[in-house]
Amino acid sequence: MSLLKTTVIEMLGAILLTVLSGPLALAQEVRVGDLTENAKQGKEVYRRYCVGCHGQLGNGQGENAPHLDPKPRDFTAAVFKCRSTPTGSLPLDTDLFETIGRGIHASAMPSWYPLTRQERVNVVASVKGFSPRFHEEKPADPVPIPPEPPTASAGIARGKQLYKKLECWKCHGQEGRGDGPSASTLTDSKDRPIVPYDFTTGERFKCGQSNQDLYRIFMTGLDGTPMPSYLEDVTPDQAWDLVHFLRTLQVSPEKHMSLRDLVRRPSHVEEKLNR
Amino acid sequence: MKLKHLLIVCVAQVVLTWGHYDKHMGATLAAASATSANPAAAFDTSAPAIVTGVVRLDGPVPAGKSISMTKDPACMKMHPSGVTTEDVIAGSNGALTNVIVYVSEGLGDRTFDPSGNAVVIEQKGCRYRPHVLAMQAKQKLQIVNSDPTSHNIHPLPTNNQEWNKSQPPGQPPIEATFAREEIAIPVKCNEHPWMRAYIAVFKHPFFSVTGTDGRFELKNLPSGTYVVTAWQEKLGSVEQKLTIGAKETKTLDFVFKPRRSYGTASLQ
Amino acid sequence: MKLFLDRHNLKSSFCRMGVLLALASACTPAYGIPAFARKYGLRCSACHEAWPKLNNFGQVFKDNGYQIMNDRDGPIWQNVSYFPVTFRITPQWHREDNNNMAIDHTAGVSTSGLVEAKVTTSGFDLSGLDMWTAGTLAKNISFLVLPSTDANGNFHFESAWIRFDNLLDSGWFNLKFGKHELDTPISEKRFLQLTASGGFFQLYHFTPTTDINSFGGIGNNQLGIELTGHSRNSYTRYALSLLSSNSGGVNLPTSQTYDIYANVNQAFELHNLGLQRVGVYAYWGQSPTYFLTSAGVPIPGTGSGSRPFYRAGTYGIWYIRKLDFSTLYMRGKDNVFLGTGTPFNQPAALPAGAHAPTWNGGFVETHYTWSPQLILVARYEAIRLSQQAFRIGTPLPSGVPLTRDFGNTDAVVFGYRWYPIMTSRAGLAWHQEYARVRIRHAAPVTGRDETTSSFLMGFDVDF
Repeated sequence: MSLLKTTVIEMLGAILLTVLSGPLALAQEVRVGDLTENAKQGKEVYRRYCVGCHGQLGNGQGENAPHLDPKPRDFTAAVFKCRSTPTGSLPLDTDLFETIGRGIHASAMPSWYPLTRQERVNVVASVKGFSPRFHEEKPADPVPIPPEPPTASAGIARGKQLYKKLECWKCHGQEGRGDGPSASTLTDSKDRPIVPYDFTTGERFKCGQSNQDLYRIFMTGLDGTPMPSYLEDVTPDQAWDLVHFLRTLQVSPEKHMSLRDLVRRPSHVEEKLNR
Repeated sequence: MKLKHLLIVCVAQVVLTWGHYDKHMGATLAAASATSANPAAAFDTSAPAIVTGVVRLDGPVPAGKSISMTKDPACMKMHPSGVTTEDVIAGSNGALTNVIVYVSEGLGDRTFDPSGNAVVIEQKGCRYRPHVLAMQAKQKLQIVNSDPTSHNIHPLPTNNQEWNKSQPPGQPPIEATFAREEIAIPVKCNEHPWMRAYIAVFKHPFFSVTGTDGRFELKNLPSGTYVVTAWQEKLGSVEQKLTIGAKETKTLDFVFKPRRSYGTASLQ
Repeated sequence: MKLFLDRHNLKSSFCRMGVLLALASACTPAYGIPAFARKYGLRCSACHEAWPKLNNFGQVFKDNGYQIMNDRDGPIWQNVSYFPVTFRITPQWHREDNNNMAIDHTAGVSTSGLVEAKVTTSGFDLSGLDMWTAGTLAKNISFLVLPSTDANGNFHFESAWIRFDNLLDSGWFNLKFGKHELDTPISEKRFLQLTASGGFFQLYHFTPTTDINSFGGIGNNQLGIELTGHSRNSYTRYALSLLSSNSGGVNLPTSQTYDIYANVNQAFELHNLGLQRVGVYAYWGQSPTYFLTSAGVPIPGTGSGSRPFYRAGTYGIWYIRKLDFSTLYMRGKDNVFLGTGTPFNQPAALPAGAHAPTWNGGFVETHYTWSPQLILVARYEAIRLSQQAFRIGTPLPSGVPLTRDFGNTDAVVFGYRWYPIMTSRAGLAWHQEYARVRIRHAAPVTGRDETTSSFLMGFDVDF
């Protein structure tokens, strides 16, 4: 075989190996609790469970991506919704670990809790390997979440005022149905249409379900989406008031979808029709 | 013969691994080399040169599209006679506004400390003022909300951190900074989809944004040979080479050709 | 082009291997129930170690009633063109050997007397077809209907059930109604063997030769109701079934009695070796010893004189990274009337020295999951009767006297499956397998050991 042919084939091999072992090229350290990562095993976990949506290169271009909405995360940009760190910062290892375990509600991202803890830690290393940002920067300190005060009607009323003042209703609507005036033209950071959360569905949030999770969502903002951070606009007390008020928006007849509810129209549709 | 193959492969592997993350690694390498360069070789202000000129569009000026601000009555109130898009703004003789003219090559390894002054971008009348802003990496940026309605500031960089902060009316200015060079970072407000700004971040201070007369001025340039680039958000970039001596003033005009189609900016 | 084995090219052969490996791993992997993969956009490898064998994520999906639990599981969230059907069939080439089959001494002459000889058959063939449908009728109401044919196209319902999932908003209460596979984490329906000799667990179907027990074994799908529960990640699971004593047979063929099955298992993580699972199970049943007759013909469903039996034991599923072991122990015992085929209403007909047949058995099955696209399989199984039904020395139908080890079984299986494609739309596996079974003194004429073996290669097609 000619030298040229041999060289070309071996270059091809090198290219393929490099591209496909891209995540390994920058080995990532991960620490969650007492567990540390095994990057090689993480790559196997990624290949088995994640490739179909997130793609071989971690850019959210898996074969199923065209059929999904919301789209799978592009790890190469290192922009994540569910973090405990302020907007613009990388997530902590535990943020990624918990997102993977919890899944993302109302999306195609399943809860990977059935994987062992070690497997989840390993795949966090794989996810981090797709972006050099994890090598170049450190995540900022997490937003502190002070202890939650007891729910009181005065706090809820203050929260309601805050909802008006901060103009959350512009996207989320006056009743939190996700039907505010700006809602229909919202686009995410990749210019894809996106809808604001509808509190009246009574569902879990994309990034959790507890009051602490809700606090964290609007204090850190959901990076990559239109949801901004309000960290510099509210004090922690005000933030808790807002959390308690937002919970009152989550009461809805559709909360537990029973057979009875499936056959009758939801109440807000009835209202619109009767108007 | 076989060892040579192995060497070629190893080199290819290394090159491609670096190349795969070229953008970011390049920035890291540049930053590393910049910090290690001799600061005494910064630049010689004793004989500053000036480059000035006009940027023009050679061809028909696309008409601005009308923007509907019905999403926010507070915005509508401030513009009773309506507003149009500002993608391409040209004067009667084709003079282009909001073009960033900057030195793209020729400064070598020189480092430049960011100016201590803050640049300000204002949300006024539900638009960004200025529409196009140029600043240095690590320079302070102040974001002000002068409107009676809330905005969120959402820069969408590819070489810097993306963030998204809310700024209700009456809140103090938000301070921000961008660590790396990027030309240019689009900024949007999700609540008001027609709002758009561009922030260009430079490693050096040799940039200028044209005003309504299409005029730019690059001051305090050390003598040397440079490539000067003009960037417009829809028309792309035009480059020109320039050699300038100490204390010289040179004129460098740029001409943009119109594009067949300017795409559809988000208007509503 | 010189390939890998040339010494002179050894250094650069690594790179050439690299090209091929890189190309191979660039192929998309395969998965199990394409209907589920289509619904959720997950590849097969997400739920299946190597389809159809489930991993823990797939087990949780199954325990949740085929739901991901992201509030988008109900059919109203699916594209209207989605339909939950999957077909599976395996065109193949196989060879079957029987070392001691009874054949006429002179072919074609029925009076020439029976002799034993090695009989071999082989050729291209088809498996049966599974038309697998499963999914959700609504949120937390799941179903599975599996019409299945043999290779001749004769249909039966392998499974057909509806399940009410997450009752009381808890994964601990799920109620299934219909014909279903007993809850067995070491599942015969989702294992990796297809041959006549190796395509089932001997222990899951074993009854001694003379036994009239109508129970087909815990590997047979049964008719009844099942209450199951599981923790959120299915590390803890239980199942409790109430079944008709008809071994899954439809049209009420057997009797009016009921059987009970129970299974409890617990999984735990062991360092970074993987997930380990241990469990116990027990099946208590009854089988009739005679039927009411009409003009001498037994009337279906009138099984009477039912006598008890049980199958019980423990099992474990052990992972050491990519290598795993499934181990199972079973103890079985049938009532003496069942074991000797004596109607319960004729106790005097029990032969002298008759006992309740009892046996112990176990298997170890091991897999090496090289990747989601290649899995190696091996199994060894053994059954030992500790108590024969008849007295030792009683003449068997072949005339040979009964020995202590009559019916003892040993089985081995080796094989592998390679999945050339893996997408979230359809699956294909190349399957090769060799299995061999030896049953002590079962040869029909001489009472020698009977050995059967199978060799199969074919394409397992799943879409």
